[in-house]
Amino acid sequence: MAFDLTVNGSQHRVDADPQTPLLWVIRDHVGLTGTKFSCGIGQCGACTVHVDGRAVRSCSVSASTAIGKAIMTIEGLSADGSHPIQMAWKELDAPQCGYCQSGMIMSALALLRDRPRPTDADIDARVTNACRCGTYHRVRQAIHRAADLMNGPGRPEGLQLRKQELR
Amino acid sequence: MSADVTRREFLATVAAAQGAFVLGFWMPEKAAAQTATPEINAWIVIDLDDTVTVRIAQTELGQGVWTSNAMMVCEELQCDWAKVRPEYASANRDAREKAPAWTLEVPGNGATDPKGGGEPTFGNRDRTGVSGIPDSLYRRMRTNAASSVKDGRYYLQLAGAEARERLLLAAADLWRVPVAELTARDSVITHAPSGRTTTYGQVAPRAAQTPHPRPETITIKPPDLWTLMGTERKNLDVPIKVTGQAVYGIDVRLPGMKWAAVKACPVYGGDVKRYDFNAVRSMPGVRTAVQFPIPDPACTRGRIFSGGVAVIADSWYQAKTAIDRMPIEWTVPTENAAVTTAMMHDALVTSIGQPGRVRVDQGDVDAGFARAAKIVEATYSTPYLARARMEPGNATVLVTNDRVDIWIGDQSPQETRFSASKITGVPEPNVHIHLCHLGGGFGRNGNGPQAEHAIMIANQHRGTPIHMLWTREEDFIGTTYRAMGLARLKAGLDADGWPIALEVRTCMQRDGFGPEASFDVTSRYHVPSYRYSSHTTKFHIPVGTRRGVGQAAHEFYRESFMDELARAAGQDPYRYRRELIARTKLPYKADMIKALDMAAEMSGWGTPLPKGTARAIALEERGGEGNGSATISAMVHTVSVSREGKVRLERVDVAHDTGFGLVNPLSVKKQIEGQITWFYNDAMHQATTIADGHVVENNFNRFPLSRIAEDPPEINIRFFPTQHWLIGMGHDRATSVQSGIGDAIFQITGKRFRDLPYSKHDLTWS
Repeated sequence: MAFDLTVNGSQHRVDADPQTPLLWVIRDHVGLTGTKFSCGIGQCGACTVHVDGRAVRSCSVSASTAIGKAIMTIEGLSADGSHPIQMAWKELDAPQCGYCQSGMIMSALALLRDRPRPTDADIDARVTNACRCGTYHRVRQAIHRAADLMNGPGRPEGLQLRKQELR
Repeated sequence: MSADVTRREFLATVAAAQGAFVLGFWMPEKAAAQTATPEINAWIVIDLDDTVTVRIAQTELGQGVWTSNAMMVCEELQCDWAKVRPEYASANRDAREKAPAWTLEVPGNGATDPKGGGEPTFGNRDRTGVSGIPDSLYRRMRTNAASSVKDGRYYLQLAGAEARERLLLAAADLWRVPVAELTARDSVITHAPSGRTTTYGQVAPRAAQTPHPRPETITIKPPDLWTLMGTERKNLDVPIKVTGQAVYGIDVRLPGMKWAAVKACPVYGGDVKRYDFNAVRSMPGVRTAVQFPIPDPACTRGRIFSGGVAVIADSWYQAKTAIDRMPIEWTVPTENAAVTTAMMHDALVTSIGQPGRVRVDQGDVDAGFARAAKIVEATYSTPYLARARMEPGNATVLVTNDRVDIWIGDQSPQETRFSASKITGVPEPNVHIHLCHLGGGFGRNGNGPQAEHAIMIANQHRGTPIHMLWTREEDFIGTTYRAMGLARLKAGLDADGWPIALEVRTCMQRDGFGPEASFDVTSRYHVPSYRYSSHTTKFHIPVGTRRGVGQAAHEFYRESFMDELARAAGQDPYRYRRELIARTKLPYKADMIKALDMAAEMSGWGTPLPKGTARAIALEERGGEGNGSATISAMVHTVSVSREGKVRLERVDVAHDTGFGLVNPLSVKKQIEGQITWFYNDAMHQATTIADGHVVENNFNRFPLSRIAEDPPEINIRFFPTQHWLIGMGHDRATSVQSGIGDAIFQITGKRFRDLPYSKHDLTWS
């Protein structure tokens, strides 16, 4: 059965069972492999994408739940790494193996949308992705740095973030 | 369409889609000869625009090897670092070419010679590449034992130096000037007397045709001349890891590729009795099912995994859905199916009580015990532990009658090449491995039989590329484990609380990599009489090297016991350790004392802390019992425990030696930070248990991984120089988190726990 999904602003015709987890439709039908499979049970967050701006563990929701909604994956931030959260990640040299980092970035971005100046407690509560290399120390600093880059002096909080996402 | 054309198309497709930057791509030799991009030597290619491609013979799995290996080459090459691109070395070429003879001799005088190549390990070599192949083109393609820098530094520096000298010779030849009048910097060659300049890219084609007249005279730069090595460099693959563009094995897509989902018998040694493919045959996308046997132990270093079955379908989720519904019956060895963790623990207890293999017996331990003022005894235990890397095992394999292609993130491609040849009958020089990034490694044996499964499946579907992917649950079956361990330590203290006799017994499953922990060489802390015996058992769980190997468990035993002795003696654990190191004759004892002093000072050791918070210190060293390569550090862990029993690692202060020099200090800091998290998980959360012969914790709901909320808010790392080359950074740093949290729990709650993980214990206090 074919259906349409909107991913990173483009519409994709998908010929798959709509009950297929969103993750596999994104990876194998839409062809975007930046979103990763790891646990398959919604535990680790490697598969995190945004659906209508909310962070979702895509291995554990069916593609049908995203029909008619705006899906954003890591590829939707920027291809050249110029999104402020990507810039912050690079500045801190945050990734190690990198496998969990797409999901980590998507969770952090959802947090920054809701809390443009997150506290450490906000980060603890909202960024619950697992990283086996132990990049947490740099990820935390990178989130604070991204908040700085997005909400520099004189800018209304979150404005630049919204601009980036609307691109 | 011939098979060759098809293959070329696959490769072109992959290279175009993912960029040659990411996949070590293969080109037919004819095409390679036609390209305008000259290869200076097997490690270095220089484009006309001065882009320098550096071949990386280890796998990037988060440890930063893409960057550190490139730094070692480029230090000597003196090229523009901004134009360096790493690319995986070809394991196929490694099967067909030898390293130049002049690179086989390690320069200098070992681990304490700053001008030399240090102390690379090429022991126990064999042609399966288990420990690297001593004279093959890329020498050691394995990624393990934290040894990429220790082993590779000298020949990577030589490769860079040889290329630089040939570029200079080519320019000298071009300008008809003496080579001694030329200098090279940032890819620019300058002839000062005439003011002429050229670039590496301009002379590279000529340099590629210019042999070095006396390569055996090439020397490598000692640390005091380094300008790139020793500086903090961001990892070169970070940009592609923040955009989702990095290609891991799981991301490989080929034209005509089919997907395989696998179920292997959960009890090791088990096999498929029967399965009913007819029950799932008509499901969408499903093509066929393939049975495969227990992988040949010759391909898995003697370890016995399981036989299994794969369903092949158009997409992986279709294959996975079908295999979940397909009835499968197993044949399981009865003795294996009866095994539980409790039985195994009992077997370890029995074995440790019997005479073991006495490895050290110094002084008179029994006489020491007889005259001791106080005897302290403790039994510690550590569970089986999985690596649980984030990327589940996978490989994409295309087998044809005369050639095998494998796309894989692999910590030991030379071994995989051997397996592919053994399984398919295709000779090794016709096996092509296209290395991908790996989503975490944490121990080479942790690759398990991912390649073997995929090769066995694809071998039954010659001509079709098969991408085999394990579920998370299968990944927990297809791996080796850190062996469960037990230790009994007994010390006799004199009237002042100093140990006069120490007996250490450790017990770990055979092949469990326990004795590596150096109890068999030294007690580390001074004691006049010392006896160490190792004891083993045999279990059916395949064990192997997991980050920290047996050393991680043994460090937990040793440093925990030191804390207990200090408490029994009524002494400060820092001062107690310091004095006992000072009394030894260890060659690097001054460095160890330096580490302890620095960590204690950094942490504010001895200053008051709020109630419910405590500090613990430990020494960490590997190799420090000898006078060769070593890595030495000390850490102070500041830990709080709430009355409700919630543990928080609040702060870690790290004093770490650099040896003669760290290649990339930024990468080293990241390795230390990462290992703090790793051993925090070992200490607090993780255990693998066995029931009915199979692993119980087979996904992250049962095998917990800590999250950012548990990361220590403060990590301070300070380096100090030492006069030896380091032994490695990637796997046994921060083992002291285990004893540190344990001693802090004791200080706060009054309870001493000797078996990990701590979270299984009641940590409340009032």
